[in-house]
Amino acid sequence: MALDNLSGRVAWIFAESNFDVDQIVGIKNIKITDTAELARVAMEAFDPDFARVVRTGDFLVGGKNFGYGHPHYPPMKAMRHLGIAGVIAESFSPGFWRGEISMGFPLVPCPGILALAERWDELLVDWNRGMIQHLRTQKELAIEPLSLADRTMIEMGGLIPYLKSAIADEAESTR
Amino acid sequence: MGFTITEKILARVCGRRAVKVGDEIMARPDFVHSYDFPGYTDSFFRDMKDEFHLNSPPAPERFALFIDHMVPPHAPKEEDLHQITRSWATMQGIQLFERLGIGHQVAAEVGYAVPGAFLVHFDGHISQLGAFGMLAIGLRRNILEAYVRERISLQVPQTTKVILNGRIPPGLMGRDVFHFILKELGPDFCRFQVLELEGPALSDMSLDERQTICGLAMFTGATSAIISPDEKILRWSRSCGSRAALAPVMSDPDAEYAAVVQLDVTSLEPLIASPPHPANIGPLNDVAGLEVHVGYIGSCVSGRLDDLRAAAKVLQGRHVKDGFQLNIIPTSRKIMAEADREGLLMELLEAGAFLSSPSCDYCFGHIATMTAGQRAISTGTLNVPGRMGSPDSEIYLANAASVAATAVEGRIADPRPYF
Repeated sequence: MALDNLSGRVAWIFAESNFDVDQIVGIKNIKITDTAELARVAMEAFDPDFARVVRTGDFLVGGKNFGYGHPHYPPMKAMRHLGIAGVIAESFSPGFWRGEISMGFPLVPCPGILALAERWDELLVDWNRGMIQHLRTQKELAIEPLSLADRTMIEMGGLIPYLKSAIADEAESTR
Repeated sequence: MGFTITEKILARVCGRRAVKVGDEIMARPDFVHSYDFPGYTDSFFRDMKDEFHLNSPPAPERFALFIDHMVPPHAPKEEDLHQITRSWATMQGIQLFERLGIGHQVAAEVGYAVPGAFLVHFDGHISQLGAFGMLAIGLRRNILEAYVRERISLQVPQTTKVILNGRIPPGLMGRDVFHFILKELGPDFCRFQVLELEGPALSDMSLDERQTICGLAMFTGATSAIISPDEKILRWSRSCGSRAALAPVMSDPDAEYAAVVQLDVTSLEPLIASPPHPANIGPLNDVAGLEVHVGYIGSCVSGRLDDLRAAAKVLQGRHVKDGFQLNIIPTSRKIMAEADREGLLMELLEAGAFLSSPSCDYCFGHIATMTAGQRAISTGTLNVPGRMGSPDSEIYLANAASVAATAVEGRIADPRPYF
């Protein structure tokens, strides 16, 4: 099984280092549990039109150490609800990384991405070649390799399916 | 070529003679710890049963549960969660530690501070057990893996070593040293790595202060923090009993590091983390004089005897400014009892502090909640907006002496004149 390549537009760029993802829905909304409601308030502070202009398969692009602080789950829940297919960033903060990978959400560490892409550019995440391609300019950047466990977790769609398959494989190999 | 303490611990728990950075291993944690929290423990118990058809976790003798959040409960649903935890622990025959204090500290008091051990939790502040020469990692929800299989997948991390030289000036504490590391090296210098600490200044530091530094490691991007065991660590471990018979291990002098950094703490000044995030560090004196309404001494990273002693030294014979709310919450019952024996509690009470039994709840605004426009100075873990109440309240993080000095003056104050 291999990771599906992703192709989509850059729906937004959070260029600042150490970006606190809770800002995406706003701290005052962080306790909202209804995903549709979260999606409605998401990005208010950045682009009130975001929900209207975003398309299924679009990406977010982030800077260095994306997800720093005390990241909660609602912001990316809202983003997924709006169709965001993954985040490509210069680098990720470990807490955010673990939390979102365990949801099966593609995170793509790619040093240089801020210089490569502008809003609405189309990118291809080619997992197998380990490259990100800018579709218009054909410029490419390398993806930092993921551990096998993280890769499989994205492939399987999250922690629980990943664990089920890992346990089944283990049983198979000891049979 | 030698090995780091982290590599040695991970080699043992995956059953290999040696591991190297980047290896993907299956590691058997010596201990698996959790505190009960909605969406975590209740989900783990449910997922184990519904998704994995397991009635009990693998090798349950490795597990421990702590009730330290929502203590005391202030809504029936909180007590419901505790009931779920208690009955699950009873059913599984798993150790439950309730109302003894904040679990990360209690763990060290009841025999889980075992040099050389590997412990997992979902909470990242468990890294403070690294102060006892062990590797303790917060896995967030991935800890579910430990609830459903005996070995968990792990990639051997790199280590960055920070050597602390010099002597810490009076009135300054482990908190300032951590802030100094973060200010000098930045919020991602240790991303996905282990932060290893050593050096003469570290040797001088008490275990309390080392726990403060190790417990905050996540804000450097670190997966955990660790200190090779010295006599202070071994003595503590012996005195508290040890729940695993393990030989302590130490980093070899020729171990390989991602980086080795030297820092000198001799001319350190009090450092404060201003809103909106824990890496926004600057000299406390840059914000001195700012009006503050609430003070908090406590949490898993402070609230130990050193912190209470420092606060008492500042507050002795003085009084908290009228209208200022100073909450002092010792980290564990054992610490509280010892503080009482030393006469610290009476000094703090007489100075006007509000004292309460151990609980995590002050640190995340579950109790002593601030309203819009209020400002706190705190020894807690985090200062993101909304952490201690309204998103429009503010939190400054500083050492316990600074919190006490600020409580006396009602404005952010340099603790050094009190020492």
